[in-house]
Amino acid sequence: MKLTLGSIIRRSLIHRRSRSLSALTAMTVSAGVATALLTLYASLDTKLHKEFRSFGANIVVTAPANTPNLAEQVKKAAGPEALTAPFAYAVATTDRGTPVVVAGVDFPAVRAIDSTWQADAWPTAPNAALVGQKAANFIADERTLALTFAGQKQTFASAGHLRTGGDEDSRIYISQADFAGWTHASPTVVEVQIPGGAPQVEAALGRLRAQLPGLEVEPVRQLVEGESRIVDKTHALMFGAVLLIALTVGVSVLATLSASVLERRRDFALMKALGGTQLQMMALFLLETVLLASAGVATGWLLGSAAAWAISETNFHTATLPRPQVLPLVLLLNLAIAAMAALLPARALSTLEPASLLKGE
Amino acid sequence: MFLRLLYESFARQRRRKLLAGLAILLGTTAVTAMLALATTIGDRIHQELAVYGANIVVTPKADQLAVKIGGVDIKPATGGAYLKESDLAKLKTIFWANNITGISPELPIKVDLSIYGGATANDLLGIGLWFDHPLTGGTMTGAPQLHPWWKIEGSWPKGPGQLVVGRALATKYNIHVPMRAGLAIPGAQNGIDDVVIYGILDSGDDSENKVFMTLNTAQNLNGTPDAISRVDISAQTKPEDAFARQDPDTLTPAKREIWYCRPYANSIAYQIREAIPGADAQQVRKVEQSEGTVLERISGLMWLISAAALLAAGFAVSAAMATAVLERRGEIGLMRSLGASRTAIALLFYAENGLLAIVAGAIGYLAGSALAYTLGAHIFSGVSTTHALNPVLLPIVVALALIVAIAGSTPSIRAALKQDPSAILRGDA
Repeated sequence: MKLTLGSIIRRSLIHRRSRSLSALTAMTVSAGVATALLTLYASLDTKLHKEFRSFGANIVVTAPANTPNLAEQVKKAAGPEALTAPFAYAVATTDRGTPVVVAGVDFPAVRAIDSTWQADAWPTAPNAALVGQKAANFIADERTLALTFAGQKQTFASAGHLRTGGDEDSRIYISQADFAGWTHASPTVVEVQIPGGAPQVEAALGRLRAQLPGLEVEPVRQLVEGESRIVDKTHALMFGAVLLIALTVGVSVLATLSASVLERRRDFALMKALGGTQLQMMALFLLETVLLASAGVATGWLLGSAAAWAISETNFHTATLPRPQVLPLVLLLNLAIAAMAALLPARALSTLEPASLLKGE
Repeated sequence: MFLRLLYESFARQRRRKLLAGLAILLGTTAVTAMLALATTIGDRIHQELAVYGANIVVTPKADQLAVKIGGVDIKPATGGAYLKESDLAKLKTIFWANNITGISPELPIKVDLSIYGGATANDLLGIGLWFDHPLTGGTMTGAPQLHPWWKIEGSWPKGPGQLVVGRALATKYNIHVPMRAGLAIPGAQNGIDDVVIYGILDSGDDSENKVFMTLNTAQNLNGTPDAISRVDISAQTKPEDAFARQDPDTLTPAKREIWYCRPYANSIAYQIREAIPGADAQQVRKVEQSEGTVLERISGLMWLISAAALLAAGFAVSAAMATAVLERRGEIGLMRSLGASRTAIALLFYAENGLLAIVAGAIGYLAGSALAYTLGAHIFSGVSTTHALNPVLLPIVVALALIVAIAGSTPSIRAALKQDPSAILRGDA
């Protein structure tokens, strides 16, 4: 029977099955961990930025009274990804004669942007109002909530109270249509929420300022700055964790693999005695570990992607899809470990005399 | 005999033991570092989230309804209700006093500002604030601490003769620092003739139209000593859950006690209402709720990554241990043929690995703690409130190392013991 490199490797892998399996497991674990961490790491920023959206708008556009089509213009300039919510304000008087700020809003839009507002019930019917918890103390009859604006009396029905802990608690919110019909005033403030980090907000600011000259376009500074800083820090922390874990797994895999190569001193000596060259021996070991490493990467990538998906599903409640982009990096990492594990002991063995090795010294 | 075998094994196989020990050491280092970071991440992120400002506001309960649009008071309240500045000391007596990390009271007043040799600006919004006011434990608090996004050119006021103006005012009236001016209450006689504007504030919001002074200055000008109209409080809280949303007055006494003794924003606000007469304390939902989710997500992520690190380190260490045992099959064969029982051999190997795990685990704990400390200090600014060494982690980490080392070597020890000693010794296995 003619001995080819392929058949030697095949026999070697099959014959020492438990050994091959444990090396394969080690490579799978290292590839799996690398895949999971890299996949999470790649989508971390997007996911964190999304969490920060609950802080509300990151840009506020203020216009002079009676700017036509303000909401539409802002929406167009902000881009399709952005959320916008127009606000119109007027000062009316309650049935107790207290001045109160009344705002005309688009309730679904406000709900989407200001997700932390706590409302007993969001108004849907015409002439329904959302009453701030402080404003409610200054109203005698909430069921027939009578408000007067410029001598015009209008009756609303309170759908419930609004709790925010901010200025909103002192206001009454009604729908845009009811507001326009009553006060004939149009929105003067548009809250804009741009998804993403500081660069996206900067770009949107530029667009809004260019397309809407004469309007005041301001970022919500503490939000934009703080968000970038926290995302960057979490990013750095993750990076540290990834490096640390990769190092641990890498060194352990290296120890396992190189031990298994060292253990085969006898095979090595025998092949050398039979006329194998140093280069052939090296190629043999290298091919064997590289083969195991590649198989490990294939299964490890699948397992790692599943782990990343599970982690982000439990933590962020959104799925992280497998990323084929991380595959080359994972492969490279594992091949490097495998090559080191094969070549370091092979070099050490090359200085030994085959005869003394075979004798068992 | 057993001890001698154990000793000789370490003395003679130094290199091999070193490698297995290194695997355990690295594994425990990684796990300790991740666990140490995960346990402190809450505090660190809370410090970072402080940039969003107060999460609890306190206002007088009897206050008039604010008529504010875009931060501008349209009908400023005249003779509104006030809280007492002296009552703020009572915040130190509430159950969660130590969780209060910042307090910033304020008193808005109307002022006229006449710049010497320049324009006179009438009816400006002035505001009295704390600057560098001592809080418990030697830390300082005040408006700049609760508004970290405020940027000052110059310095904050320290006494009655010092002012800061907002950037918009500075541009409008061409103010530079330092500049002398006179300060007065509109339509009143009292005022300060000689004040110095020491700073210009950039805030990016409506504060750029205000005049800033110390709280005492504003109180004296206004003729209302000890009066404040609003307090911003930054408190370290536990993210809100379903239990936190319950009304404490409808709970049973036992449940109410539990609710009261958890650091929810609602509980802290409730305790503030109890402590300060006539005060209405509310959580700022936008800040509190969002901080809660961000905090939960980031620390959740850290815990999950720690679990992944634990799993990976466990696999890696147990693989290394298994290899170490497999390598020594010859030894096992020899001992068995010399008459050692299976139990004695297994015990020897377990003792070896256990000893290695304890020593390497302890060193790994130290290395991991140091690593977590440097990493934390490098990434997060500000002084960490926790010590570098968390003693709770030591037994956990060492026990984990022990379990992993023993569990990892068990299959290979069992396999080696099952084989026929003569076959091992002949080298057929």
